Amino acid sequence: MLSDSIIILKKELRRIFTDRRMLAMLVLLPLLMLPVMYSVMAKMGASRDSEITSFRSTICLYEGIGNETVMGPFIESISTINTELEIVQLSEVEAAKLAITEKEKELLIVMPDNFHESLVECSTFDIGVYFNSTADYSQHAYSRISQVMASLNGDIVRERILERDLSEDILTVFTLNEVPMQYDLAKEGSVIGKIISILLPFFIIIYLFVNSMKVGLDTVAGEKERGTLAVTLVNQVSRLSIVIGKMMSVMIAAIVGAASSVIGLIIGSKYFMGMFGASGAAISSYSMSTLHILQFAIVIIPLAVLVASMVLIVSTFARNTKEGQGMIMPVYFVVMIMGMATMQTGDVPPKWMLSTPIINSLLVLKEIFIQGASWSSITTACLSSIVFSVILIYLTLRMFNSEKILFRI
Amino acid sequence: MLRVENLFKVYKNRKKNVTETVEAVKDVSFECSPGEIFGLLGPNGAGKTTTLRCISTLIKPTSGNVYIDRYNVLNDEKAIRSRIGFLTSDMKLDGFFTPDYMMDYFGALNKMSKDDIQLRKDYLFNELQMSDFIHKKIDKLSTGMKQKTAIAISLIHDPEVIIFDEPTNGLDVITSKSVTDFLKKYAQAGKTIVISTHIMHVAEKICDRFGILVEGELKEIGSLNDILENNSSDSLEDVFFGYILPGSEGEVSHAQ
Repeated sequence: MLSDSIIILKKELRRIFTDRRMLAMLVLLPLLMLPVMYSVMAKMGASRDSEITSFRSTICLYEGIGNETVMGPFIESISTINTELEIVQLSEVEAAKLAITEKEKELLIVMPDNFHESLVECSTFDIGVYFNSTADYSQHAYSRISQVMASLNGDIVRERILERDLSEDILTVFTLNEVPMQYDLAKEGSVIGKIISILLPFFIIIYLFVNSMKVGLDTVAGEKERGTLAVTLVNQVSRLSIVIGKMMSVMIAAIVGAASSVIGLIIGSKYFMGMFGASGAAISSYSMSTLHILQFAIVIIPLAVLVASMVLIVSTFARNTKEGQGMIMPVYFVVMIMGMATMQTGDVPPKWMLSTPIINSLLVLKEIFIQGASWSSITTACLSSIVFSVILIYLTLRMFNSEKILFRI
Repeated sequence: MLRVENLFKVYKNRKKNVTETVEAVKDVSFECSPGEIFGLLGPNGAGKTTTLRCISTLIKPTSGNVYIDRYNVLNDEKAIRSRIGFLTSDMKLDGFFTPDYMMDYFGALNKMSKDDIQLRKDYLFNELQMSDFIHKKIDKLSTGMKQKTAIAISLIHDPEVIIFDEPTNGLDVITSKSVTDFLKKYAQAGKTIVISTHIMHVAEKICDRFGILVEGELKEIGSLNDILENNSSDSLEDVFFGYILPGSEGEVSHAQ
């Protein structure tokens, strides 16, 4: 039986890997597309950031009544940022607010009347800074003004303390981790592994499923549509051998396609992770030990078998590839939700997750990336993938033996 | 020896909670001996393809059975498949591969050794005059070339019984003649051949005996002379149209 499956597998693989279009779609496109896509996204993001940073914003300032003598340090602080300062009168405040709403100006700073008295009495007063959170330039100017105002605030407090012959240290009761030392006791490589573990298992399941779909829908539904399946069925080969051979070909194609996508993702991660605030260089320095690579392979193969079996059963039931595409989409969404569910699970995931196929495999992959997967959780995940694959293959075989489904009589 | 015994095939279609029953084949029985070509004649929808599919084990009969020697389609599917070469017009070959590769593939599926496959390839490629296109993708071949390829593939394992559904359908005159000549030669080599067709002159030319299938029932069975005598007709075509077109010459003859 297995020898027949291997004959079918070889033919299916030949079909997939010698077809230039299929090869480009499965291997070349994700390998090139992902780095190009992420680098373009990162470049566009960086170019926008630089545009915002270099933009000369217009800040309107209402100085308040009776503050002429104390405005100096405030105006000086505001002028340190790249801005054009417009002093406005009380009558012009509303017009300035409207200009900010209309994105014509970036900020309006309204000083309270007679705040010099508060300065002398050392009491707190409030400065109003109006901005538009939907305008990038206004938002950036607001964030810069908040920084310079906080700095001015600190300078004034420091002056007051020194005037009273007190030490600045009075403001700091204690510090945290100021002494240069390695405080993070996580295993070496596991910190960056943690970041990878949030994203990569999700991408892996998506890539496995998408690549299974690319090949799997055609392998039975396409053959039914083209009338090529019956030719195989009248030969001396069992239907189980056909199902196993086709399932293996879908699985191999899915793994190759997913590997290509993940390599593309890793190449693109330099840009991609940068967008999430993590260091691309740190990601590229991440490596896995031989044991963890072995654990990864042990988990990923049954998972790929399960995904291939899911696609194959839909492909067998569908009349043609178009119908198959419609039928597979709800399954794809469920798998996508399962992948998302594993992104933020905490250190001890709920029990239902550990006993749900696909989810438990993804959780084990997360553990492997953080370098802490136990053999018991690996075994559980693999067993559940295998059990569900066997059930799906059995059901697919039942469909292969059904004239109604296979020939749609 | 092929023997079809009281074959019935009923399809059930469920539409809007109503189950519709269609009797595609009703009590069909016939035999075909080694060296004989049996022609199953009938219009589209008469049940020819369903009958041939039952013989080939692609579908199971609702009742009745089909025997090849001591094996039957209900219990010995694999043994039956090893003894038949089956080709229908709705079976297509994967256009991505070459005839040469497909011969290797189906030879391997039929448990043949590489040497045996090579011997069969040499014989069939030569007999069917395929040598010019065996390394071209099937997608790039003409209808006649594709049909020759399909025939060669169905015969790779040197089956005892050959079942061809409309083997000359859509072929040009030259290819059609080379296919019919090949079938005659194959029958002379002691093979049992069943073909279905609605092209009367092809049937008359190559078949030793005929069965006329109309609406799932075998209305006539016998040699050309037997059928013409029974229907007091001088043309198989008239007899055939008599069954499928009311009021034609053949219909009058049946009334008599």
